[in-house]
Amino acid sequence: MNTRTLRHLGVLAVLFASLSLAGAAPVIIVNKSIEKEKVDAATLKSVLLGKKVAWDSGGRAILAVLKSGPVADEFLKGAVDMSGSSFNNYWRRLAMTGGGTAPHSFEKEEDLRKYVADTPGAIGFVDSANVDASVAVLTLAP
Amino acid sequence: MKLISCLRYACPSILPLLTFCVLSGVSRGAVAIGDSNVQIGGFFSQGYLYSNNNNLPTEDVGGTWNFREAAFNVTDTIGAHLRVGAQVFEQDFGNIGNDKMILDWAIADYNFTPWFGIRAGRVKYPKGLYGEALDLDVVRPFVLLPEAVYSPILRDFTASFDGAMIYGSVNVLKSSFDYKVFGGNIPINPDKGVADFYNDGGGLYAGNGVADLRMDSVAGTQLVWNTPVSGLKFVGSYSYFSNLQTDGPFAAYPPVNLRTNIPKFSWITYSSEYTFGDWVFAAEWQRTGGDLLLTAPLLGFASSEFVGWDGWYVSASRRLGEKFQIGAYYGNNQVRTGYSSSNSSDYQHDTALSLRYDLNDHVLFKIEAHYFDGTYETFNTARIMNPNPKPNNTVFAAKTTISF
Repeated sequence: MNTRTLRHLGVLAVLFASLSLAGAAPVIIVNKSIEKEKVDAATLKSVLLGKKVAWDSGGRAILAVLKSGPVADEFLKGAVDMSGSSFNNYWRRLAMTGGGTAPHSFEKEEDLRKYVADTPGAIGFVDSANVDASVAVLTLAP
Repeated sequence: MKLISCLRYACPSILPLLTFCVLSGVSRGAVAIGDSNVQIGGFFSQGYLYSNNNNLPTEDVGGTWNFREAAFNVTDTIGAHLRVGAQVFEQDFGNIGNDKMILDWAIADYNFTPWFGIRAGRVKYPKGLYGEALDLDVVRPFVLLPEAVYSPILRDFTASFDGAMIYGSVNVLKSSFDYKVFGGNIPINPDKGVADFYNDGGGLYAGNGVADLRMDSVAGTQLVWNTPVSGLKFVGSYSYFSNLQTDGPFAAYPPVNLRTNIPKFSWITYSSEYTFGDWVFAAEWQRTGGDLLLTAPLLGFASSEFVGWDGWYVSASRRLGEKFQIGAYYGNNQVRTGYSSSNSSDYQHDTALSLRYDLNDHVLFKIEAHYFDGTYETFNTARIMNPNPKPNNTVFAAKTTISF
């Protein structure tokens, strides 16, 4: 392979990575026990940062998050204005100092979705392509 | 061999658990036990400290492996609002700590609403950016926090208190304010690092130094302003100790007891932190102080003086890809009264450069170099001997941390 071919392959790789990132479309999923909960952006942020621990309808708010990846990065940037590593550090600090209960972390979206489906009060996020009828999709209130 | 020996004897109960948790795959900052709400977490750090001239910050001239910490915590939630948990902690820092396990925090926390909650028990002490997270290597690139604001000698004195705290968060327009108000007391004794402040130079106490240490109470508040500017926050912290007292054999005449009392010793800390992409910039300024009253009634001796220090630092760090992070800071710490720039024992300038490498989510390595100019808070006690401190000192530190 000559230098030009390598360069083209490199550009293609970058393009592919960009498209993959752009393709991440996270949606908020919740256990059906709280599908009627009214959640706006500020409330969601409060839940994700461990400041709001209980739903208005009763029951504990249980967080489920993806460990890493473009879906997690895009969701966390939009919801709490943090990178994945900043969010990680934020929760490590809280959990290790008695300040909160750390979110349940998952490598795979399927596992996260199943956990949310099975756990009353659970809230999480997955790519829109990975939603099914076992969970409810939460639309943020204005 | 020395390191292996240290590891063998340190934290025998925590190491196997750490190994299990790291190998078994864990979650973000804690491990959930099955489907229950019980979570466990912890860390183990082992470091190496070397200094060329002075024993600073601890007994490390020529190098020491006596630089490690370990912690293990369990938390559980009960119902929608109540959370309980506790953490044990042990430290070996030169001749301080000696791997003795202590209860670091143990709390019951009831969160009524986002703007009002109560936490009681042994609670982490909020002060500045890192007061509650002094031991958490995972949240910073530095091995040693800037001594100007976070003296490692005072770790076992200012890490937590017994009492209660109210806390909450209030959204105001596009920013939010997090508050904490707390009160209680801090159990202290002559084994704590703070004793070295009283034993320094042997001017106050003879023999083994201060024999009794106590305080009536601690109280304080912290306000965090998460500004509308992405990544920018400001923190103000204020706290004070009431009647911080000591007793021991008076250096001038050991058969007689010398009592010291600081009716009110205050801590004021202003902090800011700005996260911008891969960069984190921080600055903190701290002022401490109080009147120290000395009495030895049997000798008809009574005296007083003001004690305290001003410290500040600026720091910057940057992530380099997924694995590396570099950081640097410059700190300045100086006596508040009678300061003279020509007297090196009145100040301490600390320039530090750090490199952190994250092997994975649970294992990290750090190396760090410091150049200290000045000998302020370079102690000369039985535990940290510096009979003839040099005006400057170079320190190298390396540390690895396993956390889950």
